[in-house]
Amino acid sequence: MTLSLFDQFMSPTLLGVPLIGLALALPWVLFFQPGARWMNNRLVTLQAVFMNWFVKQIFQPMSLGGHKWAALLMSLMLFLITLNMLGLLPYTFTPTTQLSLNMAFAVPLWLATVIIGMRNQPTHALGHLLPEGTPTALIPVLIVIETISLFIRPLALGVRLTANLTAGHLLIQLIATAAFVLFPMMPSVAILTSILLFLLTLLEIAVAMIQAYVFVLLLSLYLQENV
Amino acid sequence: MPQLNPAPWFAIMVFSWLVFLAVLPPKVLAHYFPNDPTPQSVKKSKSETWTWPWL
Repeated sequence: MTLSLFDQFMSPTLLGVPLIGLALALPWVLFFQPGARWMNNRLVTLQAVFMNWFVKQIFQPMSLGGHKWAALLMSLMLFLITLNMLGLLPYTFTPTTQLSLNMAFAVPLWLATVIIGMRNQPTHALGHLLPEGTPTALIPVLIVIETISLFIRPLALGVRLTANLTAGHLLIQLIATAAFVLFPMMPSVAILTSILLFLLTLLEIAVAMIQAYVFVLLLSLYLQENV
Repeated sequence: MPQLNPAPWFAIMVFSWLVFLAVLPPKVLAHYFPNDPTPQSVKKSKSETWTWPWL
């Protein structure tokens, strides 16, 4: 029974067209380019305000060398938040529930931050493996632990996003099925379940935004350590 | 878990990076903020404070 509930995450195809292709290619029509006018329409202004706020938020604590990443991290944020939010609509497919996609972004970007750190300031980058004030006897153990935690970062990054979104969608499907099945039998319980579903959907909207933000924020933190 | 099915992994990786590199940065970079605010460290501001001269 549980296995069939995961069916919603299988890469769907329609007449041989993988729908994940459409889910990845189409959302960007919602982002219009600003025209040559001094003042644009409300949607473009809203997107510009969001982008401005986000870039300031992420790059204010970062040293100048890291500011080269602004376009990349802003694109990544737009990418993730759009895919996450659109996935909450009925009959859509959320590409960010696919571990392949999330690892495809987490591993190269994390690796890029590590390589930048190792190339430009190797001593400083390696210094992160030993927290300050460690008792001498614990140094070998702690270096091993910190190295493990360094290498687990891309895995955590990818799996965090995947698991959060998958779990959310799964819960929504479960509770929606429950409400639907209960409706002919016990309408009052079905209404309570529907209220629960509504609240859960609100939560999932928040989770969609927060998880996208956390992904990019953590990458920016890894960059801050190494740049 | 269908996400662990290795068959579409490579295609998904390639296609998502393609979209991420080709479609998004032009849309992001098109937003240009021409305002150049005075940095905090400078003593004298580049502009004067705004007042409502008609009031």
